[in-house]
This record gives sequence, structure tokens and C-alpha cells, in this order.
Amino acid sequence: MSRHRIPGRGRVDAGRPVQFTFDGRSYDGLQGDTLASALLSHGVHLMGRSFKYHRPRGPVTAGSEEPNALVGTSRGPGRTEPNTRATVQELRHGLVAESQNRWPTLSFDAGAVNDALSPLFSAGFYYKTFMWPRNFWDKVYEPVIRRAAGLGRAPTEEDPDIYASRYAHTDVLVVGAGPSGIAAALAAARAGASVTLADEGTEIGGSLLSDPGVEIDGSPAWDWLEDRAAELRDLGVTLLTRTTAIGYYHQNFLGLVERLTDHLDEIPHGAPRERMWRLRAARVVLAQGALERPLVFDGNDRPGVMLAGAAQTYLNRYGVAVGERAVVVTSHDSAYYAAFDLADAGIAVPAIIDTRAEIRPDLASEARLRAIEVLSGHTVTATSGRLCVASVTANPVTGGEVGEGRQLRCDCLLVSGGWTPSLHLFSHTKASLSWDAEAGTFLPDRSLEDLHLAGAGRGLWGYAASLSDGAEAGAAAAHALGHAAQATGLLVARDRIGTGITHGQLPTHRAPSRVRAFVDYQNDVTAKDIKLAVSEGMRSIEHVKRYTTTGMATDQGKLSNLNALAIAADALGTTPPQVGLTTFRPPYTPTTFATFAGYHRGAAFEVTRRTPIDGWAEENGAVWEPVGQWRRARHFPQGDEDMDAAVDRECRAVRAGVGIFDASTLGKIDVTGPDAATFMNRMYTNAWTKLAPGRCRYGLLLGEDGYVRDDGVVGRMAEDRFHVTTTTGGAARVLTMMEDYLQTEWPDLDVWLTSTTEHWAVVALNGPRARDVLAPLVEGLDISGEAFPMMSVAECTVAGFPARLFRLSFTGELGYEINVPARHGRALWEALMAAGADHGITPYGTEAMHVLRAEKGFIIVGQDTDGTVTPEDLGLGWTIGKTKEDFVGMRSLSRPDLVARGRKQFVGLLTADGAVRLEEGAQIVDDPDQPLPMRMIGHVTSSYNSAALGRSIALAVVENGRERMGETVHIPMPEGNVEATIAPGVFYDPDGGRAKL
Amino acid sequence: MGATHVPMVEDLPPRHRLSLRVREGGRGAVGAALGLDLPERVGERARGGGREALCLGPDEWLIEAEEADAAALARALGGVDVSHAAVDISDREVGFRVSGPGTLALLAMGCPRDVARIAPGRGARTIFHGASVVIRREAEEEVRIDIWRSVAPHVRALMETGLKELRAGL
Repeated sequence: MSRHRIPGRGRVDAGRPVQFTFDGRSYDGLQGDTLASALLSHGVHLMGRSFKYHRPRGPVTAGSEEPNALVGTSRGPGRTEPNTRATVQELRHGLVAESQNRWPTLSFDAGAVNDALSPLFSAGFYYKTFMWPRNFWDKVYEPVIRRAAGLGRAPTEEDPDIYASRYAHTDVLVVGAGPSGIAAALAAARAGASVTLADEGTEIGGSLLSDPGVEIDGSPAWDWLEDRAAELRDLGVTLLTRTTAIGYYHQNFLGLVERLTDHLDEIPHGAPRERMWRLRAARVVLAQGALERPLVFDGNDRPGVMLAGAAQTYLNRYGVAVGERAVVVTSHDSAYYAAFDLADAGIAVPAIIDTRAEIRPDLASEARLRAIEVLSGHTVTATSGRLCVASVTANPVTGGEVGEGRQLRCDCLLVSGGWTPSLHLFSHTKASLSWDAEAGTFLPDRSLEDLHLAGAGRGLWGYAASLSDGAEAGAAAAHALGHAAQATGLLVARDRIGTGITHGQLPTHRAPSRVRAFVDYQNDVTAKDIKLAVSEGMRSIEHVKRYTTTGMATDQGKLSNLNALAIAADALGTTPPQVGLTTFRPPYTPTTFATFAGYHRGAAFEVTRRTPIDGWAEENGAVWEPVGQWRRARHFPQGDEDMDAAVDRECRAVRAGVGIFDASTLGKIDVTGPDAATFMNRMYTNAWTKLAPGRCRYGLLLGEDGYVRDDGVVGRMAEDRFHVTTTTGGAARVLTMMEDYLQTEWPDLDVWLTSTTEHWAVVALNGPRARDVLAPLVEGLDISGEAFPMMSVAECTVAGFPARLFRLSFTGELGYEINVPARHGRALWEALMAAGADHGITPYGTEAMHVLRAEKGFIIVGQDTDGTVTPEDLGLGWTIGKTKEDFVGMRSLSRPDLVARGRKQFVGLLTADGAVRLEEGAQIVDDPDQPLPMRMIGHVTSSYNSAALGRSIALAVVENGRERMGETVHIPMPEGNVEATIAPGVFYDPDGGRAKL
Repeated sequence: MGATHVPMVEDLPPRHRLSLRVREGGRGAVGAALGLDLPERVGERARGGGREALCLGPDEWLIEAEEADAAALARALGGVDVSHAAVDISDREVGFRVSGPGTLALLAMGCPRDVARIAPGRGARTIFHGASVVIRREAEEEVRIDIWRSVAPHVRALMETGLKELRAGL
């Protein structure tokens, strides 16, 4: 048994020792310990070094609010975590823990020189010190500060763990399973509501786990807890322990993080480490309790100085005495109970120093019974001890005057400055708080959410009060949901009621410059820093916070905010609400990044959509390119071809023979109804009325602003049915835009839109031999050039599959697009590959497709257009139905700036040297010798090597480009100026004869 | 939570699916042609003669039938003298079934809807792992899911991760 373990005490299992290491040294603890309680059981208080001054620090709390005892933990490669709070890390076999922010060792740390130099590191130190010389910032100051800053080392290896997510819904969510939370959950569940009870601890009970002497309804607290846990189970309450409610979002939507495996000796195969619950509750009961507030005095950060409630927890819950000789300093009655528990356990408690002049008589007599001296009306002005506290100096305060001090020997100093209700989640809801001057704290005021508060979280104190308040909150929540609910009262014996007062900094007679009284332990902010910030002009707590960094550490000022506020208010001679309260933001406690990502990592990071032909492309060596959410085959390299070589070969095959292309990702929208043509007329620039069934047309879609949004070939399948195709990336957007107009502008039209993108697999055949390949597979249709000319569409059978066959060309060659139900896509592809084998059929990817269309000057929306390009700019004025009354964007096309001269027009560019390929996005100028900044007259939108032309080609938008054919422009590049000639955009087969074969 | 319940996930054979759109006034006539009383409320289903209709919107139904019934369905709708749209979307989605204890837990990993509140026999269009899906609750612990073909592998992979998680029992 370790030296400070008290046999028979606590909820730890004395029969189950657990081995672990801290800074390389092996220790044993017990099942049920936290890392902190196990180390304390060996008398180890020193667990870390402070952030800025490298001062030795030990745990001040026994909970998640811990600012000091932050250590690195590890369970093997990749499974390291910095800044694990030793006070909540459950002990497990083989746990490896290391202290942080020290070198070479925790007990002798070279960085502690900062502490001696602390007068240099006052608030605003960085702002004042590192301004000069100016050029030192990048090379000296910033690198040095960055190395020194930060606590713990971020893991460098990939996290091998799994992180889960789950949605959940519940009638009543109770946050906090202390006495009020348990009472609330019971009341709501007994009334018939579905209840979820969440608590960050390992088991339900909250403060009762540290107060076993209390009796509820005749049962000792821990027996009562066991019975209630069973009852909660029987009532079907979902109990989430080790689960922190990290954020409270709109309409009772909360994020809760459940820690699943960090406490386990062995991780079950496939088990996630943590789970993010995304929970929607009809009603929420916040029963988060209160956090004990430290007192601010010189030397209040030495290891061994600890909150009184924490010492009580270590004693009663873990069976650990935090010292052998404890002095208590308090402004609240609660610390007396801690002192009594320690004394009753055989720990010497020579004195209770109380800042209040009046002591409750029953407490005074209980103290007397235990021979504890009570020093009322006293302050603390100093502590001593290097790596652990060794004494405390108590001074009487009379009429505001601090008298002569008296040094009291101790090896731990238990502090209580009162209790702060945990209002973090409540504040996440944009709720308002009210200041309780008497209690010296903020209390919940109003929230817009359907929530209730209960217990110490709303300023109540004592078990009877918290239990009945919880029951009432639970009953009220159930009642609000239509359940007949009642709150049953409970009899509490040996209750621990109490009140207290709060302070800023405790009075002292010492010179302010000599006093190191810490407010924010984690960020090393002292009372002096706060006062300095005020004296330098900070008036709002928001400014004080940013100037001093108080409350900005990972604990978000859980212990420090109110003390900082009180000190700032004192310095300003005003009240805390006048100085303000900083905003609480999620997450409540530090949360693993990966838990936010959940399942969305690695291959599952984002959905990758695959076409029905994806598998064939994969098996045949496709190089992929992401297009929207899709992955598409970019090219199919043969042997050791690079992309340029593969694309050249693919392009040549299409121009000379036949190529095959997976066009399944094209967006497809079925437009059906008696008003289908009317609808199409209103949406697209083109005229559709006279388009006969069985014919197709290239359609252009504008926004209301007159700029091109999308394009695609539209086939008229019947009088009342159009088969609309969109760009791959535009599919969802176009359908949404169409639905928007249909539902809000023209609800009178009898027409319906259905996405059929995924119903059809689409295979494009292009090249002079396309018909030779296709014809033998087609049934029910004559596809000869005369019977099925360019821009025809028909239903037929291809390779035995029902098909919609389009004759169109995006390459300038004879082309077909064969649509078959998606399940047949791959079979169709393979049938065409077989049929085309003798014709040298060649699969081509998106890159060759881009080159082939660019040779023909066909635009790609989003590449050659950027949302500021009109049909006229593109030379696509011919798509506009001249006699149409209206279409989306029509009015805008007559806006003065859209008809003015000088707009950028879509043209071709040919570099003087055909071996030079322009860079897409490069800017175009008239005179390369003009001074900077040059006047830019356009930019390159597309640029490729053209196998068919044996040189590079480019498409561009250039001011008045179409009037400037043959003129020379310049494209200044880092390597030098490139000269190019403006040319018509159609580089290949300008008459278009090849597509009409 | 607690006990280990791992549901079964199976791919379902193709079914004939139509997206049916018709205004309120034509609901009766189109339903009569299909031999179904097209339900009026979103989420409700009607079944008969091997056909099923699930109401997805105020003017939208998903019709399901055996593949062999496709021609007969088309004929039946062809004779309706009421403006409507019936679009074949049989291949747009693929279907799978999740069944057995743990079904709702597996769904809760990616579906923000409270599936427990969709009564057995009803359905809904919702989101599953970020993808649009149609789900039908066939029984307490049996759900059919229709999901767009191209995203199905992504979602199936996430479901496999979920099954592993359920097997681990945490």
C-alpha cells in the first residue's frame, strides 16, 4: 500500500493494482484511480511546469477543470496525447505518462530561469518588447517565441484510432449526473419521458461520490446511488458516462463526446476511441453543478496548494490523503467539511484560516471537537516551499489593516474561495446571466431554449436543496412534454449546507511588486498582471483578457475568470458586471480533433462518386481526376506513357478511328408535362417550341444576370418530354435552379422535373468509324447518316439493352452518346470495346476530351466562363431564340454594360512558337514593355498541345477579341514574354463537315 | 449501448421504380390506374397488387413494383387522362436492407432523422452519411434504404465501419 493511501476508503479496488509509469519511473495505483490520485497516493504532487514561468505545479482540482496537472500520455505509436489532464485520466495497465514543459527534468528545469526574470515578462510583454529592431521579428523573436510557446508536443504520427459519431434523440437530456441531475432524470423517466443522462465522470453521483457521509431517504449516499443507478436502468434511461456535453447549439441540439477506450487496459478490436453524439432533445436539464474557486494570494500555486473540495474528493473517492498536515484557508463553509473529513481520517489539520470574521457556531464547535484552530478574520500573505508547500503565513485583518503574520507548517494547503455555478452550456445558447452581488457570482437568467436548470449550477447549495430542485426540473421537463409528472421530496440527513463570500485578491501588507498571486494557473497570469492591464487603460474584461491572456488557456478560465473579474473590478473601483464577462464558447473541455471528423477521414473523408464504368477504368489503368464529387478517368496510359503521350495517342485515335468515353457523369434532368416546352423556353436562351420529337439542340442556360451558368444538349423525347443534359458539376445546381423557378415563379405550369443523372450510364463513341462500331449492335433503328442525322435522338436497343441514343459531337467527329440503364453501363462498354476491337477502338479520358473540344472551340462552362460571360461574349448569340418573349436572363442582356463595346470576347490564341504552351489563367497584355502594373486585356482560359494540329492551341477571353483577328498580343510570364496571335476559336475542321458524315 | 447487436446488411435485387408526380386533383385518377390509393400524407405508403407507393412530397410518390410489371405499369399510366409525370428511375438508386437488432444504431451513425419515430410501415426521404436516401421502415428492426448508385460504395464502406464498431460492443 502506498504511503498516502488510506485503507478501506474510497471507491478504488484495493484488490486490483494497476502499474503505470510517470517520467520513466514505475508506480502502482488501484483500479478506479485517476493518474493524479495514483501519483498523490505516492506523495507526488509535482506533475508539471507552468506555461510561462516554468514554476513547479501540482494538481489543484480533482476534475476536468484542472489547469496544472497536464501531462503527455501514450499507449504506443501514434497513440500519444499532449495535455492530458491527470485528474481525469483513468489509470490503466501500462499507461505511460510524461510531464511537459521542463528540461532536463521535472524537478530541475532550466526554463525556470523565466521565473527569476518574471519582472520582464509582465502583461503585454510581447507587445512592448519585441517591436524593435523591426527586422528581428521574423528571424529571431518569432522563432524563439514559437519554440517556447505551447504546452506539450503535438503528435507527429497519424492517429491509428477510430472515432465514431452517432445521432440521438431524446425527450429529456439531463447534463450532469450529480444529485440534482439524478433527481431530474428520475422524475422525468418516472413520468414516462425518454431520458438521456450524461456525465463526464466515470460513474453517476457527482459530488455525492466525495460525500459518503450524507444520508438520503435513510440510506448512506453511496447505497442510495447504487439503488438509483439500478432504477435508472430499469426505467430505460440512457446513461452516458465518460461523456462530456461540449456544446449547446440551436434548438436543443447538443454535441456530447463519449470516451470509450482511454480507460481500458485492452482495446477491443474495431472499437472507436471516442464517439461524438449529436443529440436533439425536446427538453434539456442542465445540472452541471459548480466549480470551486481558488483564493488569490502570494504563492498560491505551489504544489500541495489545492482546492479543499479536491482534497475531500481524493480522500473520500480515491482513499488518498493529499498530505499529512493540512492547513485550510477558506471564505466558504464547504471547506470546513473537507477539513473535518481529513481530520476524521487521521490527517493532522492544525488550522482553518477563514477570511470571514463570523464563523457559523456549529462549524466552530465541530472544529473545536477536532482540535482544529479556527483563525477567523484572517488573510494569507505568503507560502513557502520549493517543490511542495511547506508553510503558510496567516495574518489577522482588523479594520482593513493586515496585522503581523504567523507561519503555520503544513505539507498541503486546502483552499476554497467559494463556488462558481457552471454556466458554460447555458451561455452557449446566448442566454443572459444576472449578477448575484451577495454570492459574488453570475447566475443563469434567461435562455430562448427549452431548458431547465437545477442544483448548484443555478446557485443552490446543499444536498436537500439540490435533490428537490433537480426533481422539480425533471418533472417540469416531463410536464412540458405532456406527461403527468411530480417531484417527490427526499429526506436528507447529515446534509452539508453552507454559504460563503468571495474575494478578488486577498488583502496583504506586502509590497505589491513582491507578491506573486496567481489568478490563471495555466497561463501564468497574476493579480499584478490584471492590475497592470487596468492601469494601462483596459476597461472591459474582454480587453483585460486579451492583454494578459487570463482565461485564454485550454481550461477557458474555469477557475480564473471570476477572480480576474473581481480583481479588475476592484482596480477600477466598480462592480464585476460593469467590467463584463467573457463569452463561453464550445467545447466545454478540450476535445480531440479526430472526434469532430468522426468517420470522415482517409478514403471516407468525402464521398467519391463512381460511375458504372469506374470498375473497368480502374482495371485498365485509368489515371483519375476529381470532377465535383466524381472521380473520372483522366487518361489511360499504356506502357510507360506520360500524360502528354497518352493524351496525344487518345486524341489521334478519335480523329483517325474511334474513341470511347465514359460520359455517365453528365447531369440529366427529365422535364415532363404538357407545359414542358413552355418551361424550357423560359429557362433556356434557345427556342424549343419547334424542336421536333426525335431531335436535339445545344441549350444555353443563363442566370438572371445574363451570364452563362450551364450548357448541354437537350433531346426532345416526345411532345411533353425533354431529356436535358447539364455539365457534370452543374447537375444539382441546375435542377435546384429549375425547381426554384418552377415552384416560386411559375407554379401554374404543368411540368415536373426529375433527376435521371444516375439512372443512365452514358458511353460516347467518337470518330470517323463510330458508326461502323455501333451499327451492328443497334436494333430497332436505322442509324445511317440519312436516317439518323446529326442532332437526332431515338429510343432503340443497343447490345441488347434498352437505350436512348443521341447523335451529337463534342469532339467534331462523327459521334454518338448511348444512354442505357446504369446497371448495364459496364456491359455496354465491354460490348462496344469488343465490337470496336477490329477498328482499333481506344478509350479516352477527360483530358483528351478537353483537347478535342478545344480544337473545335467548344466551351467548358466554369473553365472558359467565370460567371461574368454572356452568350454574345462567347460568340453564342445564335443560341438565343430571336422571337422569344422572355427567358431567364433576357432582360439583363440589354443592360448597357452588356452591350457596350470593349467586352472580353472568346477567341483562339496561337503562340508564335507552336512548341510553347500557354499557362491557363495567364494574363494577356497589348504592350509587354509598359510600366507595372500593366493593363490586362484578358486571360487564357484553356491551353493544350493539339496532336491534330501538331502545335499548341489556346482559348482566351480578350477585349474586343473578335475584331482583332490576326493581331499580336503578349502574355508576360516569369520566364519571359510569350507572343501570340488572336485567331478564330475553331482550330480544326472549321466547316464542321466531319461531324456530319 | 452495452450489449453487442450487429445487424445484417444485404444488397437487394433491382426493383422497378417510378418517380410519379401529379397534382392533388389528379391523385385519385392516377392512383386508380395503378390500383393504389395514393396516400395523401408524406411518409405514408400504400400497397396492392405487388405495387407500392410511398408519398415523398405533396405531389410526389415513389412507385415500386416487380421488374416484370414495368410494361403493365407504363400501359396503365399511358391511359390516364390527367397531367402527370412518371419517370423511370429504376437504376438511379440501389437498394439494401438492414435488419436485426442494432439496425437503428447502424442508421444513427449517419442519419440525423429519428428513425425510431418513423412507424413501421412508413418511409421518408432523408440523409444518410451525407447522401440523399429513401428509407422504409419495414419492421422495428428492419429498414430498406434506396441510395444513389454512385455514392453507394462510399456509404456501404461507412456502414462496414459501423458494423465493426457494433461488433466491438462499445
